[in-house]
Formats: sequence, C-alpha cells, structure tokens
Amino acid sequence: MIEVKNVAKKFGRKKVLKDVSFTAEKGKITCLIGINGVGKTTILKAIMGLTPYESGEILINGEKIHPATYEKITFIPDTITMLPNMKIREAFTFMVDFYDSWNSERASELLKFFRLNEDDRISELSKGNTAKVNLILGLALDVDYVLMDEPFSGIDIFSREQIADVFTSHLIEDRGVIITTHEINDIEHLIDKAVLLDNGVILKEFDTEEVRENEGKSVIDVMREVYQA
Amino acid sequence: MNRYMKLVNFEFNRFIKLYFVLIAFTIVVQLSGVVVKSKSYLNGANEAIKESMLTKSEYVIQYGPMSFIDISMSPWIMGPIALCAITLVIYVFFIWYRDWVGKNTFSYRLFMLPTARLNIYLAKATTILLFVLGLIALQLVLLPIENQIFKWMVEDVYRIDLSVLEIANQYYLNLLFPKNILEFILFYGAGMTAVTMVFTAILFERSYRIKGIFYGIVYCAVSILIFLAPLLLQASLLENYFYPMELLFLEIAACVIVLAGAIWIGNLLIKNKVRV
Repeated sequence: MIEVKNVAKKFGRKKVLKDVSFTAEKGKITCLIGINGVGKTTILKAIMGLTPYESGEILINGEKIHPATYEKITFIPDTITMLPNMKIREAFTFMVDFYDSWNSERASELLKFFRLNEDDRISELSKGNTAKVNLILGLALDVDYVLMDEPFSGIDIFSREQIADVFTSHLIEDRGVIITTHEINDIEHLIDKAVLLDNGVILKEFDTEEVRENEGKSVIDVMREVYQA
Repeated sequence: MNRYMKLVNFEFNRFIKLYFVLIAFTIVVQLSGVVVKSKSYLNGANEAIKESMLTKSEYVIQYGPMSFIDISMSPWIMGPIALCAITLVIYVFFIWYRDWVGKNTFSYRLFMLPTARLNIYLAKATTILLFVLGLIALQLVLLPIENQIFKWMVEDVYRIDLSVLEIANQYYLNLLFPKNILEFILFYGAGMTAVTMVFTAILFERSYRIKGIFYGIVYCAVSILIFLAPLLLQASLLENYFYPMELLFLEIAACVIVLAGAIWIGNLLIKNKVRV
C-alpha cells in the first residue's frame, strides 16, 4: 500500500500541498483528479522522491522510499524519461542494464501491441507514439505500483483507446496504480478510487463502486457536487 | 558498484562523439602546427641565407636556433589544449544540466534508478576525470611524435634538441605533467576537488533554484577559503612558519577536507533535496 500522510509542500511562499493524506492499494486504480496546477504531479513526484516536501510522511509497503524501492514502484510522467537520441531498442537495453525488474518479454509484447518498431528513434516518434514508449518503459517493469501522470494528455483518440485498453489487460492486474487526470471521461469506468484535489487540498476521497452502488452517482456526479458546491 | 560502473560507461558514451572530435582536432592541429612552424623557420632561414649570403651556422648565431619550445608555446599546440580544457570546463556544468534543460526529463530516469543517488554524482565526476586523463595521455603520446617530426624536418644545425621530459617541464605544460607523485596528487586532486565543488554548487542550484545560486556561491567561497587556508596563514599570521614540504602536506589535507565536504554535502542534496 502507498500511504501519503499529512504531506505539505511549498514552492517559495506558495503552499502547493496542504496536509495531503490518502492511500492507494495494490490491485486498485486510484485516480487523482483536479484541474491543472492543483498539485497532482507534485504528489506523484513526492511519492517517487523526486521532489522534497516540508512535512508529513510517505510510505510504500510500510517503508520510506530508498534505492531498492525503485524496483517496486515506477513513475510514468507526461514526458518521456529517456534520451531523445536513443532508439527504442537502446532505451530497452538501458532498462535491462539498470533494473532487475525489467521484463523483456513484456516489453516486446507491449511493443507489438502498440505496433512500434524498436529501431525507431525516440525523437522521431509522434506525440502519441512517444507516450506509448513512455508507457512501455513503466509497464514492462515487474513492479507493484505504477504512477501515471496524465497519460491521455494531448494524444490522438486512437492512441487514447490503445492506452485505455492497457488498463483492462493483465498488464495492470494485481498492481496498484495511481493515475492523475483532469479529463475523467476516458477512464471513469476503469478507476476504483477517486481522490478529488483542489488548491493542494484533498476535498474528497471515495470508492467509485461504492458510490455508484449506494448513491447511484458517477465520478462526474460527485465531482460536480464537490467542485461546484 | 556494478551500477556505478554502468553509469560511468553510460555517461562516458554520452560525450564520446564530441570527445573524439576533440581528439581528432588536437591531433590534426598540433601535427600541422609542427609542420607549419618548422617550415616557416626553414623558409625564413633559407631566405636570409640567400639574401645575406650567410652560412647556416652564421644564421643560427645571428637569428638563433629553433627548439621545440618555439612550437609548443605557439597557438598550434596551446590552442587545442586550451580548447579541450574549456570544453571540459563547460562539460562540468553541461553533464548535469543536459538532464534538465528544455524538454529533457532524463533526470527523472536517473533519480529513479535502483541505486544510491551518490553513484550518479560519482559516475559523473569519474567521467570528467577519465576525459581529463585521456586528453593528458593523448598529449603524452603526441609530444614525442611531434618532437620527432620536428627533428625530421629541421636539420640539427638549426635546432636545440630537448627531451620530452624537458618539453613537458616548460611553462604551462608542467601543470599537465606533474614531476612527481606529490605534485600529481596536488594538481589532479585540486582539479577533481574543484570539479566536485562545482557539482555540489550545481546541486544547490538544482535543489533550491534561485536561492540555490546564492547558497552555491557561499558554499564555493567557504570551500576555496578552506583550501587556501594553509597558504593564507603561512603568508600572514604564521610568517613562513612551515617548511615547503609541510605546507604541501597541509594543502593536500585541506584538499581532502574540501573534497570530502563536497561529496558529503552533494550526497545529502542529491538524496534529499534535489528536484526534477
């Protein structure tokens, strides 16, 4: 389980996270929802130890992040994390070299699924294909948790559909996923838990299935209630 | 350790193309320089001999002989060395900022590697050291070759022969080629300490951005003060109290303190404070 406990963070004088607490369980898709600039990406970066925070605590499987944790959790930001001059094959070699959890078979499977060629250079790929390579770099790791920052942002409809298909496949099953988005439509039916954020504060955290069954509300209904209240 | 070596290999390969260009440029320009300077001397000599009806010996007495120093002090040799040095100085900064600048988010990947982040710092420092030593080694190979070409081109009546050791001990070259192990430790130790100090200052900036520039400058000033403390004390309060050898050891100790401090602070920053 990923536990974010009372995390606060400032950029200069601006408080971007104020006492943020939530949990994300293994085997569930947790979605951080909020408009741009509310602190979604900062939370993911804080979980991954990519930005320091002033107070609070973040635990992954009960432990603070340390080098070996990166074999258990991965982050797929909204831009590619490989050198643009690399070919996809070279990016995979880099991953083999540095990660014990890299699963080459799964990487090949995903490459085929996304119809990409490993001799293609990353800098020459379209935005959609770059996002897919970025996704492969995260999903081909045998990790317990995958953090995704706006995976559908700015890419074409067909690439969106392909990426959304991944969420219902065995590639995601059993893993804990935290995904951020400001456009819920693409993934509303996929998410198990929603965390609504505004101005660095968590407004509501709820189990989507429970709300659907007990209150007959969709995620968007709850968002309307919370954000337009 | 394994991942540290892989990181060194990775960082090395990222600069290798430009490094080969530097090596090729150095070889071509320096060898051309030996030929051009030798020919220019010989042409001058031949013209003067023709015009003034001098013998070769008389020319040498009147205008002086040529030695390899005339070549090694020229821009043909100094130029490529300066260019390599400047390129490496710029690369000390670029080796970090290239992972952040523009749309590049490779810093994310580096900091998410399942290895101690200090390894990234040390791998980058090791890469710089390897590049420096590689260029020094190239110069060590080139100097005897250039000296030999000079001997082939210029008749012995016109020249003063110097050994490679004598050439290496001239002027700025003695900084590149220390005479003994203590000088080696001091020169290269001071060089690497300076590199790690700049690395740590860069990490201050990467951690605290604008405030970090100020922290970095203060940190560098304190480090330089510690490094120079033995010399400053010797020159002021202690009035030449230490023997030169004692002073050398004190300088080495100061160097070790600054180096250890740079790595320690750098480790804290890269582990806990750096931002992508």
